[in-house]
Amino acid sequence: MTAAVLPTDSFNVVVLAAVFVLIALGLHFTFGMLNVVNLMHGEFLLIGAYTAFQLQEWTGSVVLGMLLAPLVAAAIGVVLERGILRFLYERPLDSLLATFGLSVIIRQLVQVQYSANPRTVDDPIGGSFVLAGFNIPWWRLVVVVSTVGLVVAVLGLLNRTGFGLLARATVRNPGLAETMGINVGMMRVALFAIGCGLAGLAGALLGPLNTLNPQFGLLFLVNSFLVVILGGQGSLRGLVAAGILLGGSLGILQFNISTVFAQIVVLIIAIVALRMRPIVAGRIGEWRDRRPAVEVKTPSRK
Amino acid sequence: MSAVLTVSNLEAGYGDTTVLRDVSLELPEGEVVCLMGRNGAGKTTLLKALMGMLRKTGTVLLRNDNITSWKGHRINAAGMVWVPQESSVFPGLTVREHLVIALGKDDVARGIAQAAELFPMLGERLEQQAQTLSGGERKMLGIAQALVVNPSLVLMDEPTEGVAPVVVQELIPAIEVLTQHAAVMLVEQNIDTALALGNQAYVLEHGVVVESGNVNALHDDGTLARRLAL
Repeated sequence: MTAAVLPTDSFNVVVLAAVFVLIALGLHFTFGMLNVVNLMHGEFLLIGAYTAFQLQEWTGSVVLGMLLAPLVAAAIGVVLERGILRFLYERPLDSLLATFGLSVIIRQLVQVQYSANPRTVDDPIGGSFVLAGFNIPWWRLVVVVSTVGLVVAVLGLLNRTGFGLLARATVRNPGLAETMGINVGMMRVALFAIGCGLAGLAGALLGPLNTLNPQFGLLFLVNSFLVVILGGQGSLRGLVAAGILLGGSLGILQFNISTVFAQIVVLIIAIVALRMRPIVAGRIGEWRDRRPAVEVKTPSRK
Repeated sequence: MSAVLTVSNLEAGYGDTTVLRDVSLELPEGEVVCLMGRNGAGKTTLLKALMGMLRKTGTVLLRNDNITSWKGHRINAAGMVWVPQESSVFPGLTVREHLVIALGKDDVARGIAQAAELFPMLGERLEQQAQTLSGGERKMLGIAQALVVNPSLVLMDEPTEGVAPVVVQELIPAIEVLTQHAAVMLVEQNIDTALALGNQAYVLEHGVVVESGNVNALHDDGTLARRLAL
């Protein structure tokens, strides 16, 4: 390994951590919040990437394709949620089977339309620059910055807006939410659409970093679920931490050992972290349980 | 007096099981109607069916609107609210956030001030997560959520059940405030509370209305004691 390569690899650790967070953001909505074991999550990344590719072919502008990718993915998500999944929220095994079947159908449709031949999505910027000795490819920096921006936006949406409050209420107690005036059906389709749109955007952003083929989405499916489950289903902050842990670990390992072994080690890390999580969560819970007694005595805001 | 709620030939249940059969009743404007019966008689099922949570046949009229097939959020928007028995809350959400959700597009500051005035204890715990409240405090929150939206009809499911007597003393005046502004259908096992608050009463047995009339008259002639096995 030469000194010239090392800085690029070091930055790639950051990129992989960001990619793990980015690919799981959409799943946070469809699986983390709505509890749909969404096995077609990878196919929404696929839809996003191929939307960018198709617009690039039609207009010559891959950026236009990247802007439209989340809208196309969200629109398809709305159709599938309204047409199929809304009947299956209380039937998790059926929704698992349905999303598995739909994932196969979407993959086959993409293959029929575009064949199995590899395609490429152009890098809209290209090139790289050197910063503090690190060789940083522009597009990878865009992916990292976009991920940070999307995490902040999603955190703001869910925790700082009226929509976010109604969304959290809906997923935590749908029966009560409905009788308190929240249109649970509409809220669910909105959350599903956001999840699919985020997956589509992730696919489009990752298009230039990967070769595109109908199996593109499968690359990300398992890691997306690992990140959401390890982070604690429904916890966005946990998702970010898990994405950084797993993506960062894979980034460090795969530059030192083979990619296959790196993936195995990352899976072991995930299993150990899952085993440890209840213990860590318990400690955090104990710490939090000590706080309300203090908070209650605090004068209320008038 | 015109009816705010008219239920005709209602049948409802869970899945393939029918619990309520041929239930017909009327709730006059501004009155408190008690729904009474032993455990398992179908009282809570009736409230859930009226709130759009269960499949049902028959007719439910809210004033002139046929709400039989309406969903819960639409029924809520039409002015009919539910105070559930189990004091349900949204885990992780604060007392303030519960009130904000209940108020919807209404004046949030006014609503929260009204809730805090009605139950000062809630006012002190606005930033506390609702699932950490005691059972009695959750009942207060449920009643406050109903009161602040100025409903025309409240379905209230055993508001004093399982609550310490000292808390009941706080709840009863709040329910009385509610009854001054809205018609109330009150599921209540406690005969004294029913007599204190109710005008009319319907008695359910095995999902069927077996008695109806003035609550005091039903008490005086021994009907309630006989039907409720008091």
